[in-house]
Amino acid sequence: MKLNPMELYNLLPKTNCRLCEPKTCMAFATKLALGDISPDDCPPLLESGFEKNLERIRELVAPMLSAEATGIKLDESKCTGCNNCVVVCPVDVAAEPPTSEGKAAMSTDTVFRVENGISKIINLEKCRRFPPDRLNCRVCEQYCCTDAIEIW
Amino acid sequence: MENIVCNGCSLLCDDVSAEISSKGVNSLGLCKLGHTHLETVTAHKIVATQKKLEKAADLLMNTTNLLLFGWTHATDEAIREGLELAATLKGHFGSNVNLGPMQAMSHTIHAEGLDIDLEYVRNNGEFIIYWGTDPSESLHRHPSRFAVLPRGEKIPEGIESRTIGVVDVRQTETMKMANHRLIIPIGSDVELLNTVISELEGKSVIKDKILGIPGIELVGFVRNLQKADCIIIFYGSGVLNSGNQDTNLTGMVKLIETLRATGKKAYALPMFVQSNTMGVIKATHDHEIVGELLHRISSGEFDTTLVVGDDVLAHLPGSVAKALAKTQILYVGPPGGLTDKRATVSVHTSDAIIAGTGTMIRVDMKEIEFKKWRASVATEKHSEVLMKLHKLVRTKRT
Repeated sequence: MKLNPMELYNLLPKTNCRLCEPKTCMAFATKLALGDISPDDCPPLLESGFEKNLERIRELVAPMLSAEATGIKLDESKCTGCNNCVVVCPVDVAAEPPTSEGKAAMSTDTVFRVENGISKIINLEKCRRFPPDRLNCRVCEQYCCTDAIEIW
Repeated sequence: MENIVCNGCSLLCDDVSAEISSKGVNSLGLCKLGHTHLETVTAHKIVATQKKLEKAADLLMNTTNLLLFGWTHATDEAIREGLELAATLKGHFGSNVNLGPMQAMSHTIHAEGLDIDLEYVRNNGEFIIYWGTDPSESLHRHPSRFAVLPRGEKIPEGIESRTIGVVDVRQTETMKMANHRLIIPIGSDVELLNTVISELEGKSVIKDKILGIPGIELVGFVRNLQKADCIIIFYGSGVLNSGNQDTNLTGMVKLIETLRATGKKAYALPMFVQSNTMGVIKATHDHEIVGELLHRISSGEFDTTLVVGDDVLAHLPGSVAKALAKTQILYVGPPGGLTDKRATVSVHTSDAIIAGTGTMIRVDMKEIEFKKWRASVATEKHSEVLMKLHKLVRTKRT
């Protein structure tokens, strides 16, 4: 099941009250989608008036509790080589820091690298979905505008 | 692999590399548009030009009303040479920038001083709005390099530290990344702009659905504008194509001014696609601009057209292209395309990405210098061809 941060964001109080660690509701929604944070970490969400939203968010994030290493499919015919996956992937940013500032990946250490106008997965085993991390990370899929990346 | 500068679009990516071998073209970091562009220009066969230049110079000497047209894919050096040639021949210098919508887009906002460079956007842009433009289709790396995903000085978590809004008349691919997706009816940009401005001014005009957008969504959009410290609007041809270009751009300027009046940093940047539209705008800033160009071409005012760099016959509106095709066309640029095919004389040149010298102006007015690489050896450049042509014209005159 795909977890869309926007769907989660729309269920949050959207007050940017800064009471949680991520500080903004959008950042909180993204971390929720990644399984890095619990709905209970949002104090306003626990207040009265948000019971239905809280229940819905819990339903949405429940499958992540059983997340395991899974595969990534990259449909090259849909890819425009926009570099979104390169820049947004946390592993790429750690492996080649200039990608965090939007630069293209040049090394062979990243998960994604755009070659001949199309993104390629060159180190799938480094993806955070695989052991030892086993995180339900989907950022590459979430920010792939052409839906070329699919995680199952 | 060698570092190169890509001129596949107006972003002029300078963080990419490529190599050409007998097996073909290999690149790293280039988007699909850039890589395809490099493959295309690599396949061009450029032959010696002296005889063609002589013929072109003879034809230019005998024109009565010359139009020098194109330029949005030529280097700054070629544009400057073209302006000098126009002065020598008393010709009229024009480009897409002089056509109605483009003219409005390029001059209205810039005249107001509302633009800023893309590095500033990356470092500070907190609320990013794409209005009437879809970078996923035309400027592929715009969101990842500058506006949406990268981290910056005041944007430590990239996309998570930004709010993204997209305003368009249809569902666009860029909307997938957006917090606010505002789909409005064609021609209603100014109504939305006025609503947002009124709400920002505290008039509480949003009571119910407006332009098909739920009131709560629109109020949320305005509240996030109020919360952000730095707002950047990227506006594209969609703002102009409804026919209300001047009204829309005036509304856009008013929105920026309203935001600034509340102590925020706010800017608007155009989303031109052609690689050196900004170079033309910068170079012709102090020159006389050919007004009503479409009408003047259509009325058959010009007898000869020197086209540089662009396949103008493929891109102009049909009736204007037909009128232009009736003039005597001299073409200077990469081989291929309708204009090259239709031209009386074609002088072929290498594309700037291959030539590896000269400069172009990025969409945010930053000058980008091309990098020489192995493919640059013995290439024929736009600027050099124009310089030779100019010299021949002056020699023949004396």
